[in-house]
Amino acid sequence: MTATLERFRCMACGHEFQEVVQEDEDKERTCPRCRSNSIRKLKKAAEPAE
Amino acid sequence: MTTESTNGGLRVGVFVCDCGSNIAGVVDCAAVAEYAKTLPDVVCVVRNRYTCAEPGQNEIRQAIRQHHLNRVVVASCTPRQHEPTFRQCVLEAGLNPYLMEMANLREHCSWVHQADRAAATAKAMDLVASAVGKARLLQPQEEMSVQVTRTALVIGGGVTGIEAALELAESGHKVVLVEKQPSIGGIMAQLDKTYPTMDCSI
Amino acid sequence: MGNFTVTIRKKARYVDPGLCNACAECAKVCPVVTPDEYQMGLSSRRAIYIPFPQAVPSSYVLDMEHCLGNNPVACGKCAEACEKKAISFDDRDQIVTREVGTVVVAIGAEVYDPTEMDDYGYTRFENVITSMEFERLICAGGPTEGHFVRPSDQRQPKRIGFVQCVGSRNPRMGRPWCSNICCMNTVKDTLLLADHYPDTRSVVFYQDIRAFGKSFEDMFQRSKEAGVRYVRGLPGEIHEDPRTHHLIVTVENTTSGKLERHELDMVVLSVGLQPPADLRKISSLLTLSKTSDGFFMEAHPKLRPVDAPTRGVYFAGMCESPKDIKDSVCQAGAAASRAGALLNAGKVTIEAITSRIDEAACTSCGVCVRVCPFGAIQWTKGTPAVVVEAMCAGCGSCAAQCKPGAITMRHFTDEQIVAQVRATLAQRPEEKVFVFACNWCSYAGADMAGISRMQYPASNRVVRTMCSARVSEEMVLEAFRCGAPVVLVSGCHYADCHYINANRQTVKRVQSMWAKLEKAGVRPERLQLEWISAAEGQKFAKVMRQLDELRRTVTPEEIERSRKAFKPKVRRAAAEAATAAPVPGTAT
Repeated sequence: MTATLERFRCMACGHEFQEVVQEDEDKERTCPRCRSNSIRKLKKAAEPAE
Repeated sequence: MTTESTNGGLRVGVFVCDCGSNIAGVVDCAAVAEYAKTLPDVVCVVRNRYTCAEPGQNEIRQAIRQHHLNRVVVASCTPRQHEPTFRQCVLEAGLNPYLMEMANLREHCSWVHQADRAAATAKAMDLVASAVGKARLLQPQEEMSVQVTRTALVIGGGVTGIEAALELAESGHKVVLVEKQPSIGGIMAQLDKTYPTMDCSI
Repeated sequence: MGNFTVTIRKKARYVDPGLCNACAECAKVCPVVTPDEYQMGLSSRRAIYIPFPQAVPSSYVLDMEHCLGNNPVACGKCAEACEKKAISFDDRDQIVTREVGTVVVAIGAEVYDPTEMDDYGYTRFENVITSMEFERLICAGGPTEGHFVRPSDQRQPKRIGFVQCVGSRNPRMGRPWCSNICCMNTVKDTLLLADHYPDTRSVVFYQDIRAFGKSFEDMFQRSKEAGVRYVRGLPGEIHEDPRTHHLIVTVENTTSGKLERHELDMVVLSVGLQPPADLRKISSLLTLSKTSDGFFMEAHPKLRPVDAPTRGVYFAGMCESPKDIKDSVCQAGAAASRAGALLNAGKVTIEAITSRIDEAACTSCGVCVRVCPFGAIQWTKGTPAVVVEAMCAGCGSCAAQCKPGAITMRHFTDEQIVAQVRATLAQRPEEKVFVFACNWCSYAGADMAGISRMQYPASNRVVRTMCSARVSEEMVLEAFRCGAPVVLVSGCHYADCHYINANRQTVKRVQSMWAKLEKAGVRPERLQLEWISAAEGQKFAKVMRQLDELRRTVTPEEIERSRKAFKPKVRRAAAEAATAAPVPGTAT
């Protein structure tokens, strides 16, 4: 199972954050700042995962 | 109130519920009823004190017969509570239950906008317009009925599976119990004493 | 629903349970010795054996994996010894088919194997055992006939430590759940020791003692009164004195803040429970879903606790979550009652909200088959897809994803929903937040806000669909075309989705729509996504307040842009045709 570092943007408050995403994960996303679920996955990770 | 139908046979009746003061205390139900008359294919608008109560339901049934309604909009509360009630009601008047649509003027409107009568009334009008919009396109539906094979399968022969299988068998059903190990018993059979009674597991 | 065909592999026993009288003559002559699983490997059994004295069926069974051989018969001593001639090496697995109307899933759980937790030395130190091994050692029917001795020297231990939460409540190991039974099981074990061996001293290392059930607290207090010491804190490591085989446990007592060192004769690891390995297989066979901890997910955590999302399937016992015997029995009764009600009814009606595919319009692309969480669509490449109505739950994922528009959701058609969008936004749309809410959670959450009289701005307009996955791109675009400043798609939280996992399609669709809006020069933030449960009236009200603020930031120019940015699909014409010439109903 591979994991990648993904970039997300909260469409409610604009907060951008990164999270490690497992290849087959099935997880609800929530903005760590405002708790919104309007989380947009951005195109590319800022840096590759270790 | 009756007007002539404007469109190939569509006859929508709208029933606006005061719900005592639950809706009418906030929403101007008279204005909503007047507005409903202007909506396409609405041929009959009735205001009820409590639409779900027997007198209210009677008014629906009467109006269906009197005005030959073939679509019904009940503007009252959440369909999650009373959709079955009003489906049954229109069915009793000879209408397919799927030709009834609800507008939620209570949970989604009067109860949450108590301080703003004008905005709540405007919203109530939109909710009725939306329900009429859908009602005009409703089609009668037949519910499919499926025969049930009168045997139960229980997967797993631990204490849970054994118990479920026995219960089903005791109530007269045929049961197939499947267990992958050579004996039933599961984890419980391996326990010595069990809490809280401290008696043996088997 | 209501009809399942089950194919069962009936494993070969090689001993006819109808003939076997469990005389044990066969096992006496069997030359094969192998660890006895029932005794947790603490003693041995033969290749022909009875799993335990009270086994049902009460019959010996031949473990062919360890048997010296049947073909050509290399041994055959058991068959010679059997007076009843119950043993046959020619026995083979049989495939049996059964028709059933309902399924109760009671596949249980597995006990955690602490081998990977090397700090506790389970594999290195003989006197570190698991709570399951403890059960066998203290049991009169166990390998020591109930004489509680420690493995290294077969002597009765005087100082016994219990370590709680081994394989439970440990997010770092990916095992964040509480296994429910281990606290009370340890309390029970300490009481057994105090009763059988009053001279023993037990000490329990714990994070929390969860004694929440009926008469549990009483047991816990009795254990403390019996002199059992409870130390709040989990050991970091366990060492062994190689000479005495005593165990040294170092632990930070988080109540006193002091580091404690305990010398013990034996340590019992109170192991947790985990989903069984077979769960995945059963899950895919019956299209069930799991919660994040890997146990089965029920149709509703409070109101339908033993119903699976697949109709006619029920859960009971530990496969749903770790639980004790009483709770398992309660759930078994509940599941049996639910299953029995279905069988008694003899037939079931299905709400007429299921999906239908127009054969002529279907392009046989297979997309609907992939998005259907229930496996209700049958399809072979090149032919139109067909919905098995009895399996369809009516979520509408398929219809929302069908490019040629060949799928009709009865009672929630594209045309009906679009008509609602238009009617709602006919006047002053710029003042409105358009909300799509799923029946089970978000719409119910809005109801909850109402029931609780939570006040929020009156700008929102809710349209109900059965599932958020029903909301197609076209529906959202239609709201923008009609001048909506903000559109919200709302549904159930991941764990609550009433259509197994249909709302994952919602996420995918909204993701792609954000890109689409952006490309069209429309601020993507104008489309929002929220998961609001039936209990979250507060969240619904909060989201409505936030979206009201958001819609105030949307300028008339932006609205004008989004009105024109998206060309209506051809189907819009069909929708208008349908609006213009509706088919009358069936009033009598």
